[in-house]
Amino acid sequence: MFDKILIANRGEIALRVLRACKELGIATVAVHSTADEDAMHVRLADESVCIGPPAAKDSYLNIPALLAACEITGADAVHPGYGFLSENARFAEILAEHNVHFIGPRPEHIRLMGDKIAAKRAAQELGIPVVPGSDGDVGSEAQAQRLAQEIGYPLMLKAAAGGGGRGMRVVSEPTQLGSALASARAEAKAAFGDDTLYLEKYLTRPRHIEIQVLGDGNGAAIHLGERDCSLQRRHQKIWEEGPSPALNSNTRDEIGETVAKAMRAIKYLGVGTVEFLYENGEFYFIEMNTRIQVEHPVTEMITDIDLILEQVRVAAGGALQMTQDGLKFYGHAIECRINAENPVSFRPSPGKIVHYHPPGGLGVRVDSAVYNGYTIPPYYDSLVGKLIVRGKTRSECLMRLRRALDEFVVDGVETTLPLFRALVQEKEVIDGQYHIHWLEEFLARGGLPG
Amino acid sequence: MARKSDSPGTPAIDHEAIRELAKLLDETGLTEIAVERDGVSIRVARHSGGAVARGRSVEAAAPPTTVAATPLPVDPAQHPGVVASPMVGTAYLAPEPGARPFVEVGTLVKTGEPLMIIEAMKTMNQIPAPRAGTVIQILVDDGQPVEYGQPLMIIE
Repeated sequence: MFDKILIANRGEIALRVLRACKELGIATVAVHSTADEDAMHVRLADESVCIGPPAAKDSYLNIPALLAACEITGADAVHPGYGFLSENARFAEILAEHNVHFIGPRPEHIRLMGDKIAAKRAAQELGIPVVPGSDGDVGSEAQAQRLAQEIGYPLMLKAAAGGGGRGMRVVSEPTQLGSALASARAEAKAAFGDDTLYLEKYLTRPRHIEIQVLGDGNGAAIHLGERDCSLQRRHQKIWEEGPSPALNSNTRDEIGETVAKAMRAIKYLGVGTVEFLYENGEFYFIEMNTRIQVEHPVTEMITDIDLILEQVRVAAGGALQMTQDGLKFYGHAIECRINAENPVSFRPSPGKIVHYHPPGGLGVRVDSAVYNGYTIPPYYDSLVGKLIVRGKTRSECLMRLRRALDEFVVDGVETTLPLFRALVQEKEVIDGQYHIHWLEEFLARGGLPG
Repeated sequence: MARKSDSPGTPAIDHEAIRELAKLLDETGLTEIAVERDGVSIRVARHSGGAVARGRSVEAAAPPTTVAATPLPVDPAQHPGVVASPMVGTAYLAPEPGARPFVEVGTLVKTGEPLMIIEAMKTMNQIPAPRAGTVIQILVDDGQPVEYGQPLMIIE
């Protein structure tokens, strides 16, 4: 087991990692920028090292500074948290060269899943269902028509060199395909200098369902169930829950086992999340995240397993403590990501929190690094904290969430708490009948009075 | 320094043991070793001499010929002449072990002159003086780990 872990992150996840280290009796080093001198985890850590000015590129992304901090503190492992360098294969390799353990997957798996096309191909080879589509360029109109027949409409034409929502075109019926192809090619050529197009089935109202996995690096791996993260705004998750209201235990077991089997085949080490779009009873792989995720507490609350602890354990060469059959799920959990933003305009609202009272009581967990008098710096994300509640049933969970949201006080900055208070009253949220466009449609029709 | 035991029938001074302890002292860099056996105790200690004055008082540090120095604020980081570390690493006050330090209290420096080295991952980085002036305080010890922004020296 490690003697000293350097936490290469900030905010609530740094505090989360620190808590796990303390419970394991591992010494902690908190690295921080000058803007985070007063951070809660910095105060609680055994040692702290200031590694740079506020800008992330000069501090939390500054690999030489992080390495130097490992050197002067004698840390034998680094936990990268999420974001920042958590999926930077080069960082993992450099640490290894300096005999410091990277608490995460092997660099080759980080790299594989970081390349979205390679990841999709790998998923396919491992038997994980992917979005049906062309293998490479879609070819001539005739070839496209044939493929479209197989896949079914609607479908999406995508520029291979595109991205960020550009170079995509939805085709709803066969008669549109010919002209759509021609103009999409011309557009792609003009915009990206490359007219390569590929075709994919277009999912209109899918849910975002992801599977949590844990592997020991030696061929043993389990899944820890799913999280439904369909409620998103601009591709940012704000509400996550587990189990998904859309799945029954058979479906869960099936997709879970498919994913776990794939992780066993590649001898995956550490935690990871395989993300899917789910529509009409079918799963479609989008990507895999080779790190701990923001919404990991949802899984922890329904399995009673400390995922950070497990991460550290397997990184130190430990074996999995549980088998798939031995894993039980208890009740339901919902997480709300509370941001320091205006709840209607979502404009960031950094500043000093003059009064902070988080909710408590049975089944209520708040993962936050904020405290009374804390000033949220403007240089990083606007997450105030995560409110996670659990209940024996989804109904009980919702009641508890409503109560906890009403008790939560954050004065001094604007927060998205009003948004969540509104969401828990919405019929479709209460019924669990939502999809990845639902939240934006709710906001567009003025769901939250301004 | 060795001490004879008070008990009667004292054995002869164990030169060998003393020499061993002195050698151990040098090898380990400890400042004192004490050993007791069979009623005989031996203590070997090193007194460090000529330590660089890293005084907290201005009077001891400032050379008498200069203009009266600005009294140091309690927190050296607030002093306008402070030189803060631009990086994380280990501070070395001399270009190599055993050599004379780059600067001492009282040294007059020009802008850009090296003040010390900060080493990180086997690379030595010279820290240049950001302005010309007199070194009035050295705030780190040789071999001390330093963090970004840590006050290293005060130059007036």
